Amino acid sequence: MALVFTATRVRFEEVCTVEDALPLLEFLKSTDTPEIDLSPCTWLHTALLQLLLTAHPRMVGAPADPALARWVAPLLEDGRRGFDG
Amino acid sequence: MTTLLERFISEAREHLESAAAGLLKLERDPADEELINEVFRSVHTLKGASGLFDLPGLTRLLHAGEDLLGAVRSNRLTLDPEMVDALLDTLDRVSAWVDELQRHGVLPDDADVASVELSRRLRAFLPNVEDVVTADALASPTSRADWLAELPEADRLTAFAETLAGGPALLAVSYVPDDGCFYRGEDPFNLFPQLPGLRSLQIFRREPLVPLAETDPFHSALAFRALVAQPRAEVEHLFRYVIEQVTIVAVPPETLILPVGDLVNQRVLPPLAEDARRRLGARDFAGLRIAVAGLLERTDGRLWLASALRWLDAVLAAPLPNVVWAAAMIDAIADVNASPDGDAKARGIFSPEPEHLVPPAVVPDKPMAARILAEQMRIVAIPGDPEILRRRMAGVAATIGNLLTSLGWSVRDGELSTVTAEAAGGMPGRLLELITGLGNRVERAVDGPAVAPASAAPLLATGTMTDAGQPSSGEAAQVAHVLKVDQAKVDVLMNLIAELVVSKNSLPFLAKRAENVYGSREMGREIKDQYAIIDRLAQEMQRAIMDVRMLPVSEVFERFPRLVRDLSRKLDKHIELRIVGEDTAADKTIIESLGDPLIHLVRNAIDHGIESPEQRAAAGKPEAAMIQLKAFQEGDQVIIEVSDDGKGIDPMAIRLKAFEKGMITEEKADALSDQEAINLIFLPGFSTMETISDLSGRGVGTDVVRSAVEKINGTVTLSSRKGEGTMVRLSLPLSMAVARVMMVEVGGALFGVPMDGVAETVRVPRNRVRRIKRSEAFILRDAIVPLIRLRDLLGLRSPTDEVEEEAVLVARIGGTVVGLVVDRLREGIDVVLKPLEGMLAGMRGYSGSALLGDGRVLLVLNLKELL
Repeated sequence: MALVFTATRVRFEEVCTVEDALPLLEFLKSTDTPEIDLSPCTWLHTALLQLLLTAHPRMVGAPADPALARWVAPLLEDGRRGFDG
Repeated sequence: MTTLLERFISEAREHLESAAAGLLKLERDPADEELINEVFRSVHTLKGASGLFDLPGLTRLLHAGEDLLGAVRSNRLTLDPEMVDALLDTLDRVSAWVDELQRHGVLPDDADVASVELSRRLRAFLPNVEDVVTADALASPTSRADWLAELPEADRLTAFAETLAGGPALLAVSYVPDDGCFYRGEDPFNLFPQLPGLRSLQIFRREPLVPLAETDPFHSALAFRALVAQPRAEVEHLFRYVIEQVTIVAVPPETLILPVGDLVNQRVLPPLAEDARRRLGARDFAGLRIAVAGLLERTDGRLWLASALRWLDAVLAAPLPNVVWAAAMIDAIADVNASPDGDAKARGIFSPEPEHLVPPAVVPDKPMAARILAEQMRIVAIPGDPEILRRRMAGVAATIGNLLTSLGWSVRDGELSTVTAEAAGGMPGRLLELITGLGNRVERAVDGPAVAPASAAPLLATGTMTDAGQPSSGEAAQVAHVLKVDQAKVDVLMNLIAELVVSKNSLPFLAKRAENVYGSREMGREIKDQYAIIDRLAQEMQRAIMDVRMLPVSEVFERFPRLVRDLSRKLDKHIELRIVGEDTAADKTIIESLGDPLIHLVRNAIDHGIESPEQRAAAGKPEAAMIQLKAFQEGDQVIIEVSDDGKGIDPMAIRLKAFEKGMITEEKADALSDQEAINLIFLPGFSTMETISDLSGRGVGTDVVRSAVEKINGTVTLSSRKGEGTMVRLSLPLSMAVARVMMVEVGGALFGVPMDGVAETVRVPRNRVRRIKRSEAFILRDAIVPLIRLRDLLGLRSPTDEVEEEAVLVARIGGTVVGLVVDRLREGIDVVLKPLEGMLAGMRGYSGSALLGDGRVLLVLNLKELL
């Protein structure tokens, strides 16, 4: 499993697949102010991205991966809640 | 299935056929412009029509074919046999898909993958893939991406600058995965980072937001839009497994010019327009950029105006700034400044839809276009040394090209570059003419009512406007006279008429009853009078419907040019196909059942009949062999002859082969005449070919031909001369809907015998019947004719009474003559023969049943099966 959960924070370790979707959803539902750390993430499955865009948790670690930094990080940064175009 | 789809299917078949036929002719005569136009038009029309339905694979494939044909048409490519092969394969594939569409209403599952592969094969012929795709996408009605304004301006500006600086053409990629895509292992988002040319990506939700508590994490709800600077083929390859959910559209750079921002709090600017236009006219791009930068500094960056200024700067920053775009931008900025209201979200300078690039956005700016043209005239007229002239003309060509693009107009391919090259060489005459022509056209476009120019037509050449979408009156009249009807409907009508023919036959019986049972002669006569009228009408109706069902044999002949071409290429034989009498018509059923036998015969002729070029040369024959398909009408028969000038059939070899295979005895082999020996090849399992080839020689061909032809009551004869060629002759009835049968009475029941098998009827005195062992025979004109008692054959009860004379029906079955003894010979009648159905369907010995006028059922015998 590529997601590492602590009390209020989840770290995305390298490749995160669709199998992480259910645990992530449970975590996001059960945590009051969830935080995410995308810095080690290199592959974020669309299902996970979709959950993050729905829950919009606070991003405490921006992804180092250039593609994620370019296309995903801006959608999760503070102050940008809506992305519906 | 919708009516529209049905129409599409029937039209698609026509277009496919005409395209295939045209291609074959074109291969022989590649210089025929009319032909290439025709083929191109067929494919183009088909592609356009397919766009009405959700058939991405089909449309894409046709699009690729159209591009290739377009390149051939504009002389950028010369048609070679490999291209023809690929194009024919494409047409075959599309035609298979059309069949599939008709059966199931959808394309087969592998259509998309096949389409991508075949499209790539077609595109591989094209000299410059991008170039063609863009040009075509511009003209295609499906090319629109109206969401470009939603992409971040910074992304668009970067992509715009890159493209103008010579980067790859831009594509707008829209990908809407379906909600179950995660279950199929798809990961839509992660496809995009794999595109090195990704310039902008917009991720959005295609469904309303669902609260987290109710979210199904495996239900995909996202969709993606991207701006990509990469060749289309590469993008299509990446998305090949989901290609039906992806729309890829070419993005001309100017469609990115969509300033966004706040229009409400517009600050009034110092008059920019006058100064800017002056600088633009003087080509002072650097100065203009400085002015724009100055303005930009004093403008709130969130305003629409600032955005427009940034775009103006981007246009000017290009290596060769497009004056038309810049001028349009300046006008738009001046406009907004004068009346700061309107759509605050995206005030496009250029509509993203090319066909709307024309009025009202750009063309009404007559002064602008006219000014540019006048300017070009002036530039062209300035003398200079060759090097300067050359550079100057390149600039003029670019400017005119840009102007045309922005107006959505076009000139004939290559015309612009040719005339500017001439001008660079010191002969500006034709360039000036062209510019004048354009100027006139601008006037007309502005003065006249909004007329959309048809961009594909070489308008300048004729100097007239084409009114698009208005079919000429001639065409309209033609359309009105042809009514397309589903064949099944005609069949229903024919069945109804056939039943009418049969039921009117009951009126004479009724007349007889009126006379005999009810004792009213008067009534009987009146019924007969009415019957005469109904009879005439019914017969006319029958003739009329037969006429409707008549098809020309060209329906089946059409496929042979292709077959002969493919086989002769495969076998390295040079073969000419001659088709004679393709207008000869016969009933649809006959024509349709001719296809397979003819294919067998033509294949046989090519494979067995025609010698290799070396053998032909040795025999002193012309190198090109000849196969002829000839159709003509003879009495109430249609004759089709398949002949070749090949090596012919050697009767000796046939005898030997038949003997080796144990089909005949040695004595019989010797006794056979040459013609009889040749006929042996129609026996099942006979093949003289040593090896089984891909084409024929599987020992089934000729046998199949015979049975197929006999099924439609036809006959096959074969004649051949060794060394000179072979001719197979098929004689077929014109129509099989109504059959003429001879009625006979056996054991108290009525039976019909098809008239074409009946040679004559004779009465044979009992004492003339000879008994040879257990069988009977009689002598008819010095020949022994075996006698067969139909009563025994049908297992009916033997009558006890002996008669003086036997009623004999002499039948000819496959070359042998047989006498059938019946109880009574009756008259011949026309019947509508219906095949036996249901439980009786498998019964041998009967070819069908027919209803008689008095309601009785007549069983029609199949003598071949019976004996």
